[in-house]
Amino acid sequence: MDLYAIIFYLFAVITLGSATIVVFSKNVVYSAFALLFALFGVAGLYVLLMADFLAITQLLVYVGGILVLVLFGVMLTTKVFDVQMKTKTIQMVPAVAILGLLSGTIVGVFWSTDWYISENPIDVAKTAPQIGNMLLTTYLLPFEIASVVLLVALIGAAMIARRERKG
Amino acid sequence: MELLQHIGLEQNLLTIVLVSALPLVFILLYALVTLYLEMKVSAHIQDRLAYMRTGWHGVLQPFADILKLLQKEDTVPAAADRFLFKLAPFVVFAGTYAGFAAIPFSSAYIGSNINLGVFFIIAASSLVVIGILMGGWASNNKWSIFGAIRSAAQMVSYEIPTALAILIAVMITGSLNLQEVTQYQSGGIQNWVVFGGSLPLTQKLLILPFTLLTFFILFIASIAEVNRTPFDLPEAESELVQGFNTEYSGMRFAMFYLAEYANMFLVSAVAVSLFLGGWSSPFGEALSGPLWDLFWFVAKGMFLVFVQIWIRWTLPRLRVDQLMYTSWKVLTPFLFLCVFAVGLILVL
Amino acid sequence: MDPVRTYFRNIWLALSSIAIGMRITMKHLFVPSVTVQYPDVKLKLPERARNRLYVNIDDCIGCDQCSMACPVDCITIETIKSTPDQDLGVTSTGHKKRLHVPKFDIDIAKCCYCGLCVYPCPTECIVMTDVYEFSEFDRNNLIYNFSVMTPAEVETARVKAKKAEEEAAAKKAAAAAAPKPAPPASPPPVPPTEPT
Repeated sequence: MDLYAIIFYLFAVITLGSATIVVFSKNVVYSAFALLFALFGVAGLYVLLMADFLAITQLLVYVGGILVLVLFGVMLTTKVFDVQMKTKTIQMVPAVAILGLLSGTIVGVFWSTDWYISENPIDVAKTAPQIGNMLLTTYLLPFEIASVVLLVALIGAAMIARRERKG
Repeated sequence: MELLQHIGLEQNLLTIVLVSALPLVFILLYALVTLYLEMKVSAHIQDRLAYMRTGWHGVLQPFADILKLLQKEDTVPAAADRFLFKLAPFVVFAGTYAGFAAIPFSSAYIGSNINLGVFFIIAASSLVVIGILMGGWASNNKWSIFGAIRSAAQMVSYEIPTALAILIAVMITGSLNLQEVTQYQSGGIQNWVVFGGSLPLTQKLLILPFTLLTFFILFIASIAEVNRTPFDLPEAESELVQGFNTEYSGMRFAMFYLAEYANMFLVSAVAVSLFLGGWSSPFGEALSGPLWDLFWFVAKGMFLVFVQIWIRWTLPRLRVDQLMYTSWKVLTPFLFLCVFAVGLILVL
Repeated sequence: MDPVRTYFRNIWLALSSIAIGMRITMKHLFVPSVTVQYPDVKLKLPERARNRLYVNIDDCIGCDQCSMACPVDCITIETIKSTPDQDLGVTSTGHKKRLHVPKFDIDIAKCCYCGLCVYPCPTECIVMTDVYEFSEFDRNNLIYNFSVMTPAEVETARVKAKKAEEEAAAKKAAAAAAPKPAPPASPPPVPPTEPT
């Protein structure tokens, strides 16, 4: 087993282990902090796939933004630590059905996809410029739509925050 | 890993670990020097002398301080969350240390010559926020949680101006790799990005006010990023005891402290690499070479660290609303102006 | 005022006041410090500084006035009367010494350095010196014994005084038997000297 494989399995174990804690932990804060390691592990896997831009964006957006937001929400909510989280199984039949459907779809996609494996090693030096070029040329419309969605969210947040001033 | 090729060593696990440990050695030495510098500068600004009795002018005092911290009892509050409480200092330090991986200390040494260096440093610093929140929450103390929440809010807000200022330097140099950014600025003081980079003269004169302003704002934002006075609300002693590290003692407190000092150098190093020519000598080709490069880099970094200390012992602390006002209503709009102007000038 | 002008004015005020402050601190960075390196450098004390008490026991007449003046009762004095055959000498101020002083203790840990004991002393034998470095590890070491009498001397003086007292008592009894006014039994108190 070479160094690459060792690191891969290390990150895989970190990701899966933390994800398990996220799902099964009875403490919301523990789940939130375990999410940190799950996201970190995924970023590591991206690095191993030579997707450095994606890995760093993963860290920046999920760890630096979303996770902080989640933690803020958890910490600022009163009595959040007293909430007893239920992890027992309820509604067995629909759950099994949905789970089977979902995992079936994922496995189906996994098997049916014709995975592209590049013969040449990826030139890491060019990932960022390539992504930048593509976002502003080929995928300009989705990019702009995403920005508009964010802008709408911002305006909405400002509206909600300033509402009491009118009355 | 250029250094390995440079000194002709085989690239295996041992050498990789050794080379990646070099910044750690640097951080430890730097922390000793800066502890001493901070105490001396603060004392002399207040017309005092600071330590004088441990060695010549008290030079051995940092060692004594660290020795004291190391042998102090490592207490965990009874009501604290033991696991997260113990983990938090290491998460904070890991975030800081990860940032050092992309810092070019010299033309011959950069921990990891990744292409997205600055981008990576910004991302790694978000780990620090999580670590601080973790420590603050796990302490189960009102001061700690207030400090942690303030710290997170502050760091998230000031990441915007920091990122925008970095963006301007990246626009001028055309690279996110700090080693390349530094090489772009080599050839003397006139090529530094803060003085307009190596653009033609007319463009340079046009861009100069904006780059100076950007550097200035980046420096302010980076002081806020490392939670130092006048932006030390997370640790405001007069209101929050010590903020997120109130309950920490001994070795774990030392880790927080080390991370804070390392962070001071990290933000200075980013500012130096992007705007002040990094490791390149201010006299062009004169006085350059791997070791001279290291000297210039550390000298420039330490100068900015000194300015941070100087500001700390000059200014009082801001109020929370003033802090947010500064970030969102002053620094960010001015940086938008700079981004626009610099972009326009570069296109012309 | 116009909000736009206020905005820029505020920024200008903030920046200029920071610049002023930083100039001041930079200036002070190079001003010689005012710290006195105490054990190495000592400030000259004022002439009338009140520090550790000293008793010149040779001049003490055992009048107990310092002990009575002391607000914190840190001075303990015991005296033994001398007999007429003993000559205890004269103090440097010319007072005749009539009492043995077997015990003159000052608990300097209690002393509040008020100096009130110094003024009533008729012979100026208790003074405040300029010595201020006398810390001790054991608090008992701060009780200073100024008496120079050896236990043997104390014992003889005590025996003699007792004998003299008994003789005086016997005389008094005899005098009481005879209808004659008794002579004064004790030596007259020391007259206070004029303040110096």
